[in-house]
Amino acid sequence: MKRFLAPLVALTAAVLLAGCGRPFDVKTAPGLVELEDQEPDYAYRAMTPEGVVMGVRVVDTNGRGDLEFWTRATSLRMRELDGYALLATADVKSRDGTPGHELRFGHDESHKPYIYMLRVYVAKKRLFLVETGGPQAEVERYKGALDWMQATLKLD
Amino acid sequence: MKRTRPGAVVFSVLLMLGASGCAAGGAVAGARAPSAMAAPEPPPPPPPSPALAPGGGALALAMNDPAKAKSVSDSPHSAAMLIYTANLSLAVFQVEPGLDAVERVARDVGGYLSSRQDNSITIRVPRDHFDDTIARIEKLGDVTHRDIKAQDVTDEFVDLQARLKNAYSIRDRLNELLSRAAVKEALEIEKELGRVTEDIERMEGKLKLLRDQMAFSTVTVTFAPVAVEQVRDSSLLAPFPWLRQLGLQSLLNVHQ
Repeated sequence: MKRFLAPLVALTAAVLLAGCGRPFDVKTAPGLVELEDQEPDYAYRAMTPEGVVMGVRVVDTNGRGDLEFWTRATSLRMRELDGYALLATADVKSRDGTPGHELRFGHDESHKPYIYMLRVYVAKKRLFLVETGGPQAEVERYKGALDWMQATLKLD
Repeated sequence: MKRTRPGAVVFSVLLMLGASGCAAGGAVAGARAPSAMAAPEPPPPPPPSPALAPGGGALALAMNDPAKAKSVSDSPHSAAMLIYTANLSLAVFQVEPGLDAVERVARDVGGYLSSRQDNSITIRVPRDHFDDTIARIEKLGDVTHRDIKAQDVTDEFVDLQARLKNAYSIRDRLNELLSRAAVKEALEIEKELGRVTEDIERMEGKLKLLRDQMAFSTVTVTFAPVAVEQVRDSSLLAPFPWLRQLGLQSLLNVHQ
């Protein structure tokens, strides 16, 4: 019995420890695979075989700046510095009810249209940035899975 | 009756030429020449910006037709003569369809394609369609920067016209003298005639160019981000270096 129990405990501990490092929870939808060792840039990143990627960044703000400030800052940065086209904006909420903003951008990469979506949340003196991007057609194809993943995001 | 000596006449014409300032740079002297035409009245104040004066009214209509434009601009009471130019920067998304769409807009309003590169296009559109061209282009994408200018060329235009009229009258006078001149004077007159004709052609060319620039506004659309130099100076990025890492390049590079 002990022989089976030891690996199970170790596995459970590993899962818990891995989870402990993230101040949020997000589920990976079927069709995507979570990538390992994404720190320090990303706290989480998953991708489809076609190269659609969803990633979560967490930035300690020490309480500086509210949701509007960070949304405006990221929007300016994407539009003016990299020439991303702001296609749409929307108010969103994480699973735990934290309000956020979604910015939907378009950008050509090697003459092909790509979509880049950025959700901005501010919670517990941290900034949560959920980035989703890929070729336009593929992002639309995986829309259901990506929406589902966004809906599972819970900020601790 | 006192007989006029050709040599004296040639001398006086040459004097007139020197004073009239037919050559470039003699703008003030040309405008003041008393015999050819009355001195033009100072131009009226410029009209409001194109956004405030859609359509452009009679002047704009006249600008589409050089003949009409000439008649309007000939009037000392005509409105200020403006050359409109617009530079629009659009975000880099669906560039090829965007360039095609801008070209279509130019054709729709009676304009034409001036030049087209990988990520920018320049079109010329009739002045009275300038505003709606800008409005239509702005709907094609996300406009990140817009620079619209109206250059007042009234002074330059009126001055050029005055100098041209003066040059015409000098040319006529020289032709008249040539018909009566002896061989020696004829050579001198022909030389001067050549110079005046050259001046006239240059001034006519410049007037034609100004009329064209007034009749057709120039709109340049560029699908590009802000210049790298400006990015380096951005005050936004300095305290938040992580902002630089946002975007597709970083997100999609899963091998890092």
